[in-house]
Amino acid sequence: MLSTRDLVAGYDERTVLDGLDLDLPTDAFTVIVGPNACGKSTLLRTMARLLTPRRGTVLLDGSAIRDLPTREVARRLGVLPQSPLVPEGVTVADLVGRGRQPYQRWWRQWSPEDGAAVDRAMTLADVAGLADRPVDSLSGGQRQRVWIAMTLAQDTDALLLDEPTTFLDLAHQVEVLDLLHRLRVERGRTVVAVLHDLNQAARYADHLVAMRAGAVVAAGPPREILTADLVRDVFGLACVVVPCPVTGAPLVVPAHTGGATARPVTPSTQPADDGTIPLAGSYPSKGL
Amino acid sequence: MTTVDGRPDSATIPADVSPGAARLPGRSLLRIGPVSLQVRRRAVLVAVVLTVLLLLAVVLSLSLGTPYVAPADVLRALSGAGTPYDLVVFDLRLPRIVLAAVAGAAFGVAGTLIQSVARNPLASPDVIGITQGAGLAATVALTSGAAAVLVAPTALVGGLLAAVLLFALGARHGLAAQRFVLAGVAVAFAFRALTEVVMLTADPIDGLRAQIWLIGTLAGKGWTEAAWIAGTLLVLLPVLAWAGWALNSTALDDDTARGVGLRPVARRIGLAGTGVLVAAMVTAQVGAVDFVALVAPQVARRLVRAERPPLVCAALLGALLLVLADLAGRRLFAPTQLPAGVLTAAIGGPYLIFLLLRGRRRSS
Repeated sequence: MLSTRDLVAGYDERTVLDGLDLDLPTDAFTVIVGPNACGKSTLLRTMARLLTPRRGTVLLDGSAIRDLPTREVARRLGVLPQSPLVPEGVTVADLVGRGRQPYQRWWRQWSPEDGAAVDRAMTLADVAGLADRPVDSLSGGQRQRVWIAMTLAQDTDALLLDEPTTFLDLAHQVEVLDLLHRLRVERGRTVVAVLHDLNQAARYADHLVAMRAGAVVAAGPPREILTADLVRDVFGLACVVVPCPVTGAPLVVPAHTGGATARPVTPSTQPADDGTIPLAGSYPSKGL
Repeated sequence: MTTVDGRPDSATIPADVSPGAARLPGRSLLRIGPVSLQVRRRAVLVAVVLTVLLLLAVVLSLSLGTPYVAPADVLRALSGAGTPYDLVVFDLRLPRIVLAAVAGAAFGVAGTLIQSVARNPLASPDVIGITQGAGLAATVALTSGAAAVLVAPTALVGGLLAAVLLFALGARHGLAAQRFVLAGVAVAFAFRALTEVVMLTADPIDGLRAQIWLIGTLAGKGWTEAAWIAGTLLVLLPVLAWAGWALNSTALDDDTARGVGLRPVARRIGLAGTGVLVAAMVTAQVGAVDFVALVAPQVARRLVRAERPPLVCAALLGALLLVLADLAGRRLFAPTQLPAGVLTAAIGGPYLIFLLLRGRRRSS
């Protein structure tokens, strides 16, 4: 569905991506992770044609995205930028309605299908109850769901999101990620998101892309690729990787306590060769 | 609740959502054949009220003056009944009043477009240098003894020249709001300085004529000027119809706009280009009466309670304001006539202070 070929992109003098080749799986939830300034947002923005590459191609279903009319792209690919500007005084239903832009013209400003799509999107993102509220009066979590509803109203097969959980508290982060997960599973959408939290990435992603310094270090299912070695490679951080007690997905725990009081670690909890440690008996159960 | 693989439970999602009624808060759909337009119900109400007020103001303005013509006689004359007042109503007063209405509407349109691109309620043709460009050209024409008929065309060229400079300076950053305003302020100051130079070196009488032109007046003007402005608006009508729709999405940031398939830079160039074209034309014809362009969009926006200035209501309000300002200029200190520009500026200063104070209170 989405691929890049020999992609070179950056800002002004700085080259961020230098010859990147990447294929993202269809009907999967792909999460891109990496340290700050590793180029993950640049990659997402370039794939979403928000940034024009200096060289190379972004392919959408096999055709170069820059050769497609932008309205046509907007019917196949929804984008949620990192921190969209909330227009003053615009209501939720109004903003979600802007997602219908690629289907509208100045002489055809609204169709019954537009109304149905807006209703569907608001229900899916659980913002239907807020329809008449001004967006700038909502909380951060509500706002983010409204923005997602706007991109859902576009009725696209794929959805790209740039750090959709940043600035949200944990409960709202989970809420947004659950929504994206449901979109993938129930609506068969292809979802691609840049996330900061490795553990959330591991929990929700079907496909994980780890980047460092503008290049892809590893890509694949989190359970296969997310190891202590990879985290050291990508983030330069020593850690242990344990199975998450709830989901069994890899859970990354920094090994260095940095002055914080470390729990006594029993010898059996030392990382094994592959960087993982068995869950049972990992920590002393007393005092928990 | 979570499923076996730890993924969140999805039973909370409705299986399917019935296609509900169109989600258009506060708006109705206007269908004409294949055309369907979103219309704010409140904007329709405001437009109707403004039209009625405008007609009342026109009749009032036709009636007041020396000689006084009773409104009933004005209406009789307008209906073509043939009255002794035909000369006063049709030949002396109507041309100037129609010009006031048309010019006011044009300023309202220009102001709406410029403010939306500048994302700034204080932007107007004189903030971004169009007025100063026209002013410099007109001053040169008036002080060099050019024929009177040449003043307006020269001023138009000056205004358009300022527009070209503005676009050249602002284009490098995709005509982004800040850049657009900054470039405009620079252009405005440059042209104003040049105008001062021309004025100071000119014959004092010519300088005074230029000064009056710069303030902006409708005295001695009529059908010709009105026809030029109305013609421009008429030719631009298809563009304005597009603009009315495109204005809806100027509130989105560029990334979001591109995401929904818009081309924000092209859209800004289209909107700003239309705005400066209208501004240059109307300024060339009536001078710097541009407070109307500043205030009409903002007041119209508050009346309609929209998140952005409404184009049609701003035009109607601009027309109403200029007709009233011209009437006040004619009658307040009669027989002395004040240029309409003085009146509009007299209301403009306090309004600007009000906006600034309000802005400070909101930000504190």
